[in-house]
Amino acid sequence: MSDSQVIAPEGPSVAGGGSTPPPAGRPAGGVSRHGTDWRKRAEIALLSGPAIIVFLTFVIVPVLMAGYYGFFRWKGFGPPTEFAGFDNYVAILTDPTFQDAVRHNFIIVILSLVLQGPVAILFALLMNQKIRGRSVIRMLIFVPYVISEVIVGTGWALMMSDTGALNTLLAKLGLENLQQSWLADPKIAMGTLMLILTWKYVGFAVILMLAGLQSIPEELYEAASIDGASFWQQQFRITLPLLGPTIRIWAFLSIIGALQLFDLVNIIWGQYVAATAGTSTMATYMFLNGHMAGNYGFGSAVAVVLFLISLTVALIYQRFVLRRDTDGALTGDSGRKGKKK
Amino acid sequence: MTRKMRGATLLALGATVAMLASGCAGSGDDGGSGEDSGPQTLTIWHNSTTGPGKEYWEEAAASFTAENPDVKFEIQSIQNEDMDGKLQTAVNSGDLPDIFMARGGQKLADIVATGQVKDLTDVISEEAKGSMGAALSAFEVDGKNYAVPTAVLPGGIFYSKDLFEQAGITGEPTTMAELEDAVAKLKAADIQPIALGAKDAWPAAHWFYFFALRNCSEDTIAGLAGSTEFTDECWTKAGQDLENFAGTEPFNKGFLTTPAQEGAGSSAGLIANHKAAMELMGGWNVGQIASLTPDGQPLADLGWFPFPAVDGGQGDPTAMMGGVDGFSCSKDSPAACEDFLNFIATKAEQEKYAEAYQTIPANQDAQGAVADPALEPIMAAYNEAAYVSTWMDTVLGQNVGNALNTAVVDMLAGKGDADSIVATMNSAAARG
Repeated sequence: MSDSQVIAPEGPSVAGGGSTPPPAGRPAGGVSRHGTDWRKRAEIALLSGPAIIVFLTFVIVPVLMAGYYGFFRWKGFGPPTEFAGFDNYVAILTDPTFQDAVRHNFIIVILSLVLQGPVAILFALLMNQKIRGRSVIRMLIFVPYVISEVIVGTGWALMMSDTGALNTLLAKLGLENLQQSWLADPKIAMGTLMLILTWKYVGFAVILMLAGLQSIPEELYEAASIDGASFWQQQFRITLPLLGPTIRIWAFLSIIGALQLFDLVNIIWGQYVAATAGTSTMATYMFLNGHMAGNYGFGSAVAVVLFLISLTVALIYQRFVLRRDTDGALTGDSGRKGKKK
Repeated sequence: MTRKMRGATLLALGATVAMLASGCAGSGDDGGSGEDSGPQTLTIWHNSTTGPGKEYWEEAAASFTAENPDVKFEIQSIQNEDMDGKLQTAVNSGDLPDIFMARGGQKLADIVATGQVKDLTDVISEEAKGSMGAALSAFEVDGKNYAVPTAVLPGGIFYSKDLFEQAGITGEPTTMAELEDAVAKLKAADIQPIALGAKDAWPAAHWFYFFALRNCSEDTIAGLAGSTEFTDECWTKAGQDLENFAGTEPFNKGFLTTPAQEGAGSSAGLIANHKAAMELMGGWNVGQIASLTPDGQPLADLGWFPFPAVDGGQGDPTAMMGGVDGFSCSKDSPAACEDFLNFIATKAEQEKYAEAYQTIPANQDAQGAVADPALEPIMAAYNEAAYVSTWMDTVLGQNVGNALNTAVVDMLAGKGDADSIVATMNSAAARG
């Protein structure tokens, strides 16, 4: 639901164009061809110009430059001169460390969805009930998301280190045999990372789900309970289907975030040992082998690979999952949209 | 996207403010930089963020200005880890500070290759040339000198005398067998034998460097710079020696995620708080440990011994490995720049430097100023060393150096062996 609300403002502007047939989006622009609208154009140029210039300078140009540098062996000093063709890309794709990093990324993508999704929906259901201390619980769940990644990483790294709070607590409770090298043992480290990620980002998912829940009309539940549906039946038959668009958008954000994960890993495991502990990601690989090693050409090539992988995943997701949500909004099938609301 | 945009806008705004601010500053000093006569302002980038180190630079600049009233300074203290990145940006924008910190090895060679560093070969004073010897040669690129050294930081094993006594260890280990014996005794006394900050990779790699220093001949070590193939058997032997030693499990619990210098849980912190007995580290560790003791004072029972001899090694058992700190001038800096470098290389200034940084000065005449008892054995060993090599990762440059460091960590964590260290070095050399 929430996404159709986000897109909604476009509806009126299309309608304002004065055209009724379905492929309304394009011709709407034709209205401004009347000379009287030059002021409007100037206004648009004036207001959006600075933002566009900044966007081009700091986002688009660097992206294109990375693509260019990726074809060079380049130390970062002076202009690149040593053209390397696809050597960097061959080196990246055949490097077992990079393959490991990609594998870790996809493990994180899947586990994030599997762990955070159900937890977030349950928490959202809980907080959608009128219970005491609801706002306190809501705040507590959301706090981790607001805290800076650096603080979260440092805090957890201290707690989970071998001589840290968790192992000390276990010892005090007489549970020495449960003590682990939570961060250093390659068999456990990924689990620890997922625990921290879930703790950190579940709040965001909960807030999204809550917003989604609140847009589900109360009447549906009333009608269902009159028909004798149990609480869980109501959740499975009403809440989950109507929460679908929210879940799909959240999953999309979660996937992109997981593919680009860098900061927490870099803080907790430092710049060097993430690959050893089995928690390296494509971004930490890029930082270590591009920036830290001073191979800026190679690093740029890694950035391009990371971009292409993220883009592919995003496009596939858009095509096969998000399409059902954007369908109504983008193709102007207003009848369907109305029905949904 | 909006978040990114806002960041970019802020950046642009910040840049504007910075330009305005520097513009104001520029008009204040009569815009003399680049000219050899008349008032001029030299910018300095150094890496000391603590009290005495920062004060040293302010005082040195002030006393130089007192002698040369035309020369003023703009001093910037930059966090050590940020230094390389900032230098790189400055090189690319052609905006190097007049005086900046240099680390020698391939790192310096990379900057020199851009032609933005001043050749100091003919302008270094006789005093500096006479008293700095080996340290000066650490900043040679193709036979020319590009920096004046300020401190030498040789590595070795720091240990707690009290903990050694508790474990019943009588003498400082001089061979690997004795070191392994000491490790066993410490373990028996329930003391963690060796602190290792493997999270930062280079402290773990130090162990490999020293095994290589003892195993490889002087020529092999000296020929390391710029080499892209590591075929000598001594590299593999060094890896095997380390693998065997690591097999005795001498390192602290959780060494893989232990940082080197930050906080009481770091390897330096473990030594400072008597939680571990030994650490293989560079000369800066005396000051580092002092800053992490409960009362912030130097560790009273801190001792030091050189890395033990290795059976069948081709290297000289007195050979040392360490770092050298120094300072370079940018190509376009005024002549006052080298004058200032010669000034800080004098005996009097080097003595102040040694006191402020708690380190060994590069000027050997100034070594009398070293007061810390833990530094004395290091200095003695340094003066007696058959030859001194720079840290292997510095010599090899960031690319191969970092790959080597992480490969050593991998091996210590049980992923890979001596052969894979050498293989990683070779593949990294092919990448950069």
